[in-house]
Amino acid sequence: MARAAVLERLSRRPPLRWHTATVRDVVVESPRARTLVLDMPEWAGHRAGQHVDVRLTAEDGYQAQRSYSVASAPELDALELTIELVADGEVSPYLVHELRPGDQLELRGPIGGHFTWSVPDGGPLLLLAGGSGLVPLMSMLRHRAARASDVPARLLASVRSPEDRLYGAELETLEPRAGLHIAWTYTRSPPPGWDGWARRVDADMLAELGPGPDERPLIFVCGPTAFVEHVATLLVDAGHDPGAIRAERFGPTGG
Amino acid sequence: MTELYTDGNDAAGLLAEFMAADPTTTRRRCQSCHAENPLAAHRAYRGAGVVLRCPACGDVAVVIGDCEGELVIEWRGAYRTRRPPQ
Repeated sequence: MARAAVLERLSRRPPLRWHTATVRDVVVESPRARTLVLDMPEWAGHRAGQHVDVRLTAEDGYQAQRSYSVASAPELDALELTIELVADGEVSPYLVHELRPGDQLELRGPIGGHFTWSVPDGGPLLLLAGGSGLVPLMSMLRHRAARASDVPARLLASVRSPEDRLYGAELETLEPRAGLHIAWTYTRSPPPGWDGWARRVDADMLAELGPGPDERPLIFVCGPTAFVEHVATLLVDAGHDPGAIRAERFGPTGG
Repeated sequence: MTELYTDGNDAAGLLAEFMAADPTTTRRRCQSCHAENPLAAHRAYRGAGVVLRCPACGDVAVVIGDCEGELVIEWRGAYRTRRPPQ
């Protein structure tokens, strides 16, 4: 029995190894972002919210490594990563502009059990995204949709301008599903005729969005570090339990 | 200056090279301030290696570096670490 238990535990969390992924497709998400649809023959699956490490090796042996959140639902038969271009980055220009279907890249994961959500975890869910911080939250919403879950969920996505929106059309198709509410705020230039929020996330916005602390939501915040710190402070000041706030920061830009 | 750090999620791949348990949910109790937080919530500063700092007091928690091809991890000032059921 002891041996079986050990084997079961091992099988639940296989060692982190580098795998070769093959690009099945490249999807244009925005002027600066692409989704890589990857075939991963040995992939053991992931939980919504997890990320992977991607490693590039130059001909001279130089290696560069970056972390990217998984965008797809665990239920999908491919692994999707959405990469946003960092203008002077070392890795993202290659991933966004150079990769073509059939190309291969090295990848390891899934990584991280902290910033994850599955339907049995329940809700209500409060998801707050700054820029491409939407990616792991999108995996959660796709997972929720794939399971036809009616866990109440609210998403606030903060972007500079309409060109920075990710998954806009898909989110519109998800929204009619029971219990999902999606809101955008534009911090630099809202679309013409926009009568919604056009400012940084603030306390009034969060109060209007809900759910309030009394509903004890599970909160996920992802974005640049300054966004995460700002939003987490607003949430705690509003009375939310700090222990219910899970955050993922990707620094000024990523790379 | 908040732009200069990320968090323990960012160092999870490196830590996973050492740990059989999920590094992000592993909780560390700080020797300086006694606050207990998951490694995911620690601040991560990337330079030649990665330094994780306690999110409550800022004291150095974990130092990860590559020393001549060897991955080296120093655990600093933890009364204890706890791995939740996985």
